[in-house]
Amino acid sequence: MSFIELDNISFSYPESDGPTIKNVSIKIEQGTFTVIVGHNGSGKSTLANLICGILLPNSGKVTVDGLDTSNDDTFEQLRRTCGMVFQNPDNQIVASIVEEDVAFAPENLGVEPKRIREIVDECLEIVGMSEYKMHSTSKLSGGQKQKVAVAGILAMSPKCIIFDEATAMLDPKGRKDVMDTLAKLNREQGITVITITHYMNEAALADRMILMNKGTVAMDGSPRELFGEVEKMVEYGLTVPQITELMYELEKLGCDVKRGILHTLEAADHIEEIHGSISDDESKSSSTASLSGDAAIELENVTVEYGKGTPFHRVAIDNLSIRLQKGKIIGLIGHTGSGKSTFARLLNGLLKPDAGKVYIDGVDIWEKPKEMGKIRSKVGLVFQYPEYQLFEETIYKDIAFGPKNMGIKGDELDKCVKDAARFCGIDDSILDSSPFEISGGQKRRVAMAGVIAMRPSILVLDEPAAGLDPEGRDNVLGGLIDYHRKNGSTMLMISHSMEDIAKYADQILVMKDGRVKAFGDVSQIFKNWNMLFETGLDVPQITKLFVELQKRGLVKRSDIYTIKKAAELLEPILPKRK
Amino acid sequence: MIKDITLGQYFPGNSFIHKTDARMKILISLIFLVSVFFCRTDAAFLAMLIVTTALILFSGISMKTILKSLKPLLFVICFTSVISIFWTKGEGDPLISWRFINIYLEGVRQAVFMVLRLVCIVSGSFVILTYTTSPMDLTDAIERLLMPLKYLKVPVHDFAMMMTIALRFITPLVEETDRIICAQKARGADFENGKLTDRVKALIPILIPLFVSAFKRAEELAKAMECRCYTGGEGRTRMKQLKFKPGDFVFLLGFAAVCVLALLANNISFVL
Repeated sequence: MSFIELDNISFSYPESDGPTIKNVSIKIEQGTFTVIVGHNGSGKSTLANLICGILLPNSGKVTVDGLDTSNDDTFEQLRRTCGMVFQNPDNQIVASIVEEDVAFAPENLGVEPKRIREIVDECLEIVGMSEYKMHSTSKLSGGQKQKVAVAGILAMSPKCIIFDEATAMLDPKGRKDVMDTLAKLNREQGITVITITHYMNEAALADRMILMNKGTVAMDGSPRELFGEVEKMVEYGLTVPQITELMYELEKLGCDVKRGILHTLEAADHIEEIHGSISDDESKSSSTASLSGDAAIELENVTVEYGKGTPFHRVAIDNLSIRLQKGKIIGLIGHTGSGKSTFARLLNGLLKPDAGKVYIDGVDIWEKPKEMGKIRSKVGLVFQYPEYQLFEETIYKDIAFGPKNMGIKGDELDKCVKDAARFCGIDDSILDSSPFEISGGQKRRVAMAGVIAMRPSILVLDEPAAGLDPEGRDNVLGGLIDYHRKNGSTMLMISHSMEDIAKYADQILVMKDGRVKAFGDVSQIFKNWNMLFETGLDVPQITKLFVELQKRGLVKRSDIYTIKKAAELLEPILPKRK
Repeated sequence: MIKDITLGQYFPGNSFIHKTDARMKILISLIFLVSVFFCRTDAAFLAMLIVTTALILFSGISMKTILKSLKPLLFVICFTSVISIFWTKGEGDPLISWRFINIYLEGVRQAVFMVLRLVCIVSGSFVILTYTTSPMDLTDAIERLLMPLKYLKVPVHDFAMMMTIALRFITPLVEETDRIICAQKARGADFENGKLTDRVKALIPILIPLFVSAFKRAEELAKAMECRCYTGGEGRTRMKQLKFKPGDFVFLLGFAAVCVLALLANNISFVL
């Protein structure tokens, strides 16, 4: 008998029309590392809840380590066997102090106090959070909170841990931290790991990949096998890692390359092995970001400090000066705490700088604070997870909130709302439904439409695509680019995803410790990968590949960041298929 | 920003106040509160202020932090002192008499005492309890102290767990509120201007999202707690056992003695 067995299970939520899970049978062996992928609403999370026994199937049987999840007598034993880490790090920590939170489960199980102490110390050691044991949980970073949550589950000494999109709300460093912890648990503690994720690079680390589509298992195999089938993956609303996509493109161009390559080094090895000639395309000296032209945004010696005179005092923006040109898409990158979000809040006067001046279209925004309304309609600011700001009875009214506040009425208001809805891909037919009854991805679009309806000439977006599935990502970002093109607006996009930045931005602004670390055209910044690594940032997978190939002398430039350009450069040096 | 508030915060430290058993600290703060209420003369208040200052110094918490925590009380302090100065009628001649305004010595006395009482109570109980006791210890202590009520079928454990969670979620909810306010401001919402009714209406776009998210959090937290085998207070143990140390009793008795001495000053009065 396998460790986890799902035997022909079906499940439907009382309020939904159709079943969420349809006749699924899966067997998972002990000590394996399985990843479940699928677009939003494909039934991944429901499946995880069914394995844990939080939900019970309508038909069929789920057994974990021989325990039937529907058996009330072995309920507690099941909970201890199979733990679960959830998406939002804040909503699963019970106590205010790290070690007290980790102690929560053993306390519930009635373990003797002395032994709890030992368990807590052990578990914090395993996830590498020992030095934080007396810290307040709310002062930790997202990644650290998730590690505390993992320790809290470990304290029950489970045989299996399920991660339900546990990395979705984290920055790249936090994500890597959690993924490393997870791999370590699997390797060193022999814990069976099941993880649900939208990040294909994470999925590539697993032994086995299960692809869910419309409540059924659509594909099941090793990540290599599944990612090898690029067309199918795209059909199911997913993407593949950039490297895999590049190989697929090269194959389409007639090159004789292997399928299902997932990692950068692997690709570099393969190309080195089969290459014919050496690419002689030399890097042209790319122009520096031009500072001429009208500035949409200009900051002059701006400083922002938080919590002056308290123990939590810190400088968020440190004497920063920058000019951002009109009509460009600028990617703003930097690790958490580098001042990105503070920078965004400065631009429409939500935050007053402690020193320095902020100019929007040449106007000092703090000269006439009474006219801040005008600035706010000019600079649209979309916050992280904007769906949390929805409040009206209907989607239409919610989108209309911004323009109404600006004094727009009647037909013009109607036009504002409908135009914005169109840019964000919201169907006219749902405008009269409640914003609380639609899916997460749709809520995100409604919230963005609420800002776009104000017709801002500068759009500032804080992680617009965070937590969305690949298809939702492309839709949301595509709509924003459409708006940018049609209105010639300036866009400042804060993102942790170097792939998104590479795909959409014209220029990149790198921030570190509240200062500008670098500013320039995309190719110029990615070429300087050394500086990015030092700043704790990453480059797109494609750029990594070219850096590696350049080291091995196979190509002469590394300022490549799009798959198209990469394929163009590699195609001539690779052997053709006969 | 609202993030700056220090109310209800815990500052980890190593002073003997930090180390005292939380149950003892609750008793000590009760003694302290009662003593403050029994103060009747300026000398007694002076003695109480000295006790409070000593507590602050022992706790190692900076004076600045204490003064900051008093800031939100400024309005209440001003309001009550104005009322008692102008509206208290005392015996004898008024100190100042101008048209319909009469200020009596009694009024000034009450105003000054009211301010001193508030300052002592707030800074004293903050130093003894919230600033120096981890919220977990505090709720734990309350749970233990209220244990006898269990026999009267009062759900003491549930109450304590509710408090633990409430304390835990103060910071996330404050941050969330801040974010929602900013987001609605960015959409042109105006909270500062307009008539009172407009301003109350302007709160709707903040309150609804806040409630929606609080309910969502509650649901997720409940699920997470269930996953960690929480089934209520029955059969639960605690990692940190509360144990009285001899020092705790010394602190309690010593403190009680100091308070009694301070109250003896009720017999002396300098001016008021």
